[in-house]
Amino acid sequence: MIRYQGGSLEAFQEIYTQLAPGVRRYLKHLAGESEIADDLLQETFLQMHRSRAAYNPKYAVKPWVFGLARNVFLMHRRAARQWAKVHESREDLPEFSVLPEADRLGSKDEIRRGIARLASDQAEALLLHHEWGFSFEEIAGMLGISAAAARARASRGMADLRMALKSIQRARA
Amino acid sequence: MMDRSPKPPEALMRAIAQDLRPVRPSPQPLQLALRMVPLALLISSLILLAIGPRHDLSVLGPLLTWGASSAQFVLAITLVWIAAHESTPAGRLPRQVIYFAAIAASLVVVLVTLLTFSTSPAHEPLLRVPPRVNEMLRTSPWIMGFACGIGSTLAGGILILLFSRIFRNSLAIRPTVAGALYGAGAGLAINAGWRIACPVSTPWHALGAHGAAIIATAILGALIGRFSGSRRSQIGARRA
Repeated sequence: MIRYQGGSLEAFQEIYTQLAPGVRRYLKHLAGESEIADDLLQETFLQMHRSRAAYNPKYAVKPWVFGLARNVFLMHRRAARQWAKVHESREDLPEFSVLPEADRLGSKDEIRRGIARLASDQAEALLLHHEWGFSFEEIAGMLGISAAAARARASRGMADLRMALKSIQRARA
Repeated sequence: MMDRSPKPPEALMRAIAQDLRPVRPSPQPLQLALRMVPLALLISSLILLAIGPRHDLSVLGPLLTWGASSAQFVLAITLVWIAAHESTPAGRLPRQVIYFAAIAASLVVVLVTLLTFSTSPAHEPLLRVPPRVNEMLRTSPWIMGFACGIGSTLAGGILILLFSRIFRNSLAIRPTVAGALYGAGAGLAINAGWRIACPVSTPWHALGAHGAAIIATAILGALIGRFSGSRRSQIGARRA
């Protein structure tokens, strides 16, 4: 990031290559639609470029960019005033790999369905921690909550996911 | 996982390549907040030089004058520090911290007002002006309130202009909140100096004029934050 702030295009490409896939999946999780996620992904990196001077080396780059992606999504949602619409129009299930802690509990499809049933704040904390590997302190900085609250959301999310999986499996049986 | 094109799209690369001038990394939130100190001290000193210190300084003692003002000044820096955190995507503080700081700032202003009034209930606007003007201010106290309110708001406005420049790259998701925080910080910092010059300590004047000026600067900061936030999203939408 320091090289990128110094004007290196290659450094930007490296950052994009490393972070774009994860950021896209995160945006897909937030927005629920691939097309919107693709647009927001480009907007996230444009915002990052415009605001590259606002980056402080004290922060790790990954949570900073993910936090920025979240901001871009919320700005988009606010501008479009389509919160309800975005969620109602969720046609396909979010793309994320099966959580390591959950893969014993059900199939990939079941887990995706289970996560889609979780409260949005719990699902977000759960995925940020288990899927993208952020610490609870980093999640706290991104979401504007305390680290304890981030841990509680992720933990409640995992408990609710277990219950959702049981209910899905019962229904299938 | 369907991770599309890990390489940046050409349109994005073109946009990036258009402006690759080197930039300096942003300072840490505390360093950003401390940037207001020289200007705030300069403005306060000018106010003190212009109006002169209040006549009851000896009655109030150092704790209720310089001590209370220092506490307000530290609180002002804290508010701007929180605003700087709020403007960083990975550095936001819990919402409770913002509520706590806002309540603490309000309580400190009210407490300092009541303590000052109970120690020295000065209601005569004794200023270094011709006696005729002092008499006019005594018979029409609202003029003094108006002068303190407008003066503090304008002086705070100078600090807000500084902040709107410092925070021009702000990435706050709640720019209105961030703006209100640095606006309140600006108002509080100015009030910390102004209260040492103002000769009236009645609660209606201190809260109605000085307190209202802090609220006015908070609103001004919120409006500027909101404007720059919506401008940023418009630019983003246009470019995308």
